[in-house]
Amino acid sequence: MAFTDIAVQKRFSIKNTDKETLAKWFELLATGRLLDDRAPNYLKQAIGWSYHAPYAGHDGIQLAIGQVFDKETDHLYPYYRDLLTTFSAGMSAEEIILNGISKDTDVAGGGRHMSNHFAKPEWNIHNVSSCTGNHTLHASGTGRAIKKYKHKGVVISSQGESSVSEGYVYEAINGASNEQLPVIFVFQDNGYGISVPKKDQTANRKVANNFSGFKNLRIIHCNGKDVFDSMNAMHEAKEWAIENSMPVIVQANCVRIHSHSNSDRHDLYRDDYELNYVNEYDPLAKYRRLLLRYKRFTEEELMEMESRAKETVKAAHKKGIAAPDPDPGSIHDFVIGPEYKSEKYPDGTHHFDGPKKKLIEGINETLKAEFRHNPDTFIWGQDIANKEKGGIFNVSKGMQQEFGIERVFNAPIAEDFIMGTANGMSRFNKKIRIVVEGAEFADYFWPAMEQFVETTHDYWRTKGQESPNITVRLASGGYIGGGLYHSQTIEGALTTFPGTRVVYPSFADDAAGLLRTAMRSEGMTVFMEPKALYNAPIAATPVPDDFEVPFGKARVRREGKDLSIFTYGNTTHMCLEVAEQLAKNKGVSIEVIDLRSLLPLDEEAILQSVQKTNKALIVHEDKVFAGFGGEVAAMISEKAFEYLDGPVRRVGSTFTPVGFNRILEKAILPNAEKIEKAVSELLDY
Amino acid sequence: MSKIGLFYSFNTKKTAQSAKRILEAFGEENIEAVNAEDLTGDQFMSYEHLILGVPTWFDGELPNYWDEFVPALEDLDLRGKKVAIYGAGDQKAYPENFVDGVGIMAEIIEQQGGTVVGFTSTDGYAFEQSRAQRGNEFCGLALDYENQSSMNKDRIAKWVSQLQKEFSV
Repeated sequence: MAFTDIAVQKRFSIKNTDKETLAKWFELLATGRLLDDRAPNYLKQAIGWSYHAPYAGHDGIQLAIGQVFDKETDHLYPYYRDLLTTFSAGMSAEEIILNGISKDTDVAGGGRHMSNHFAKPEWNIHNVSSCTGNHTLHASGTGRAIKKYKHKGVVISSQGESSVSEGYVYEAINGASNEQLPVIFVFQDNGYGISVPKKDQTANRKVANNFSGFKNLRIIHCNGKDVFDSMNAMHEAKEWAIENSMPVIVQANCVRIHSHSNSDRHDLYRDDYELNYVNEYDPLAKYRRLLLRYKRFTEEELMEMESRAKETVKAAHKKGIAAPDPDPGSIHDFVIGPEYKSEKYPDGTHHFDGPKKKLIEGINETLKAEFRHNPDTFIWGQDIANKEKGGIFNVSKGMQQEFGIERVFNAPIAEDFIMGTANGMSRFNKKIRIVVEGAEFADYFWPAMEQFVETTHDYWRTKGQESPNITVRLASGGYIGGGLYHSQTIEGALTTFPGTRVVYPSFADDAAGLLRTAMRSEGMTVFMEPKALYNAPIAATPVPDDFEVPFGKARVRREGKDLSIFTYGNTTHMCLEVAEQLAKNKGVSIEVIDLRSLLPLDEEAILQSVQKTNKALIVHEDKVFAGFGGEVAAMISEKAFEYLDGPVRRVGSTFTPVGFNRILEKAILPNAEKIEKAVSELLDY
Repeated sequence: MSKIGLFYSFNTKKTAQSAKRILEAFGEENIEAVNAEDLTGDQFMSYEHLILGVPTWFDGELPNYWDEFVPALEDLDLRGKKVAIYGAGDQKAYPENFVDGVGIMAEIIEQQGGTVVGFTSTDGYAFEQSRAQRGNEFCGLALDYENQSSMNKDRIAKWVSQLQKEFSV
C-alpha cells in the first residue's frame, strides 16, 4: 500500500520564512503573472503565442516545483501550463517570451514546438510533447537512469489532473513503483480537462487516491494555491524520493482562474458563482495579503517589487520582439541524430570467408560485442531475460548472464512503457545507448505507437538538443503460421514518420552490420528482424566480427541486366530463388537488390539499377496497397521515368490481415510463385 | 457571563444564513458576530466561548480567510476556551471531503489547547469520508444546503440547545 498518512514537515510558513526568500518568491510570482497576463496580447497583435494555457490559480505549486528543482542534479518535465514552474526554475522572462512568440532563439527548440511548451534541455528542463502526460513515461525512464548510475537527484514530472486518465500515466507510475525510482509526479488539479469536469474522468475526486494500492509510493496532497503548503509538500517529496529511492505523487489542488487556453471559452460551462469563487482564491492575491497581514513587508515594499517585475517583463518583451525568426531553409536540419560513420565498411559489404552464422547468431553476437564495447548500453523488453530464456526467440540469450541484471532486464507487458522509458533514460546523458525489444512480435507494437511518434519528434523539436538514442528491435513478418498479431509486418506504417530510421535485413551479416551501426549512432533506429529467417540456412552467412553496414546503402545480392527487383526481409530470398530459376530455365538476367535500409533509402542504387535494366519490380511482404513499395515505385516513376520500358510493378501481400490457417497465409503473403508471375509479365511487357 | 463570539465571513451566503439562525437562537444579548475576514488574534482571544462558521472549500480545504488566519491562530493559547464549529458541505458532490473544514479547524483549535464542543451525530448523512468525523460523531455541526437544506433549521436549533448546555449559558 502507498504511504498516505505521513505528515508533511512544515518547513516554511509566513512567519518563519526569511524575508529574502519571501521577497524572491513574490518577485517570481508577480513577474510570472505579468507574463501570463500579457501572453494573450501577443496573439491579439498577431505576433504569436497562439497557444496559451494560463497558469493563474496554480501559482503555489508551480513556484514550489521550480524552487525545489536543481538544474545541477535534477530533471524536470513540465507541461504546457507550467510557465511559472519554468520561470521559478530559473528560466528568464526573455526565454519565456522567446518560446511564447516562437523565435529562433527560443531555448526549447527555436520555435519548432508549440508555444507555451517551455523547456531548456541544457538545464534538464525537458522539452515534452503536447500529448498530455506522456512525459510521465520519460520521467520514469530518467528515474531509472538516476538509479542505475547512482546519481543523487530527482525527476519531477508535472501534469494536469485530467491527463492522469491516460493509460500510460498508470504504466509510468506502476513502473516507478515497481523499480523504486526517485520520481515526483505532480498532479496540478484545477478540476477540469479543458471543459470536462473531473467527475467525468475518474471516480475519486482526488485522482492521486487511485494509486493508494501501489507499493513503494508516497502520496502527498497539498493546496497548490498556497505558496507555503506547496513549498512544504515539494520539499518533503524531493527529500523522500531521494532518501528512499521511491516515487511520490503530489496532488496539488489548484483553481483555473481563466479558460483552459485561448481557444476555450469557460463561460460556456462555468457560471458566475464558480468564476467568482475561483477568483476569490487567487493565490498571488492571497500571498500578497499574507505578506502584509503578518507585517513581513509594507505596501510600499511590495509595490516596489511589482514595479521591478514590470520593468523585467518590459525589457524581456523588447528583446523578444527583436529576436530573429526561424529560417525556413532550416527545416531539414535536425530531423534525426547523426549516424555512426563506418570507415572500415563504407558501402556495407565485405569479403570475409569464415564459417556461416545464422541470422539469430549474427544479432546475438553483435548485441554482446556492442555491450562489451560500450558500458553505457542497456537492453530490456518483455521476456528479455529469465535464466536460460533470453527474449521471446532467444535472440538475447546469455546476455543477462554476461552483463548482469542492471543492464539486461525484463519489462512489464506494456509496450508504451518499454518505449517511453527508453526515451526518458536516453535523456539522462548522451553516452547511453538503449536497445529495446519493442514488443514480443512487431504487430504487438501498436500500443507503443504514441511513444514511437513522440520519440520521432524529439531531435527536430529541440533543434538537436535531445536525441533518443534507441534501437527498437522488432521480430517481424510471417511464414510461421502465426496469424494476426504474430505474422504481420509494420514497416509500411513506421516509415511514414520523419525522425526514425528503419532497417530490415535479410541475411546474418547485414543484420550484424546494421545492428552495430544502429547501436553506435545517435537517434532512433527500428531494427526489423524477419523472424522466419532467424534459424534459416538460406539467411546464414559468414559475418566479420567487426562488420558495419551504413544506413541508406542497398546491397546488390545478384547482378542482372533484364529486370531489377527491389526487396528486403523475407522476400529477398524468394526473389533470389526466382532469379536463379529464371536464369537457369529461361536464360534471363535479373538483378536483385536488397534494400536493407528503408529509411534512409538508397535512391542512388535503385536509380542506377533501373537505368541499367529498364524494368522495376518491387517485392515486399507487407501489403501492396499503402505498403512501403509505393514510395519506391513513386520515386522511380518520378526520377527514372525515361529509363522505364514497362510499368513499375509491385508484389506484396493482399489488402487483408494475415490469416492463421496455413492455407490462408499462403493465399495472402507473397511467395516465389507470385513473384515469378510478376517477373514474367513484366519481362514480356 | 461573557458573550459568545460568533465568527464567520460576512461575505458568505449559506454560512451567514446559518449564523443568523444561531444569533437568533442565542439571543443577540448573548452573542456577538465577528467578521472572520478581518480577524485578529486579540479579537479571537476576547471571547471565552466561540462559535466558528467554517465551510469547506474545494476538495476539503479551509476558506482562504480562515486559512490566512491560521498562522495567527497557531500563536494563541486557547486553553480554557470552548469552541464550537459549524460548516456547510455537499455530501453528494464531495462525499470524500464532507465538511472537512470543520475537522481541520477543530484539529487546530485542539492543537492550541482549546476544547472543541458541539459534537453531533453522523446519523442522517451519507458520505464517504470526513476529517470532521470522530467515531459516530462530527466534531461540530454539519450543514448541507445542497442536499438537505430543509433539515438545517432543526439541526441548528438542536445544536444551539446543546451548546447552551455545553457553554453553560
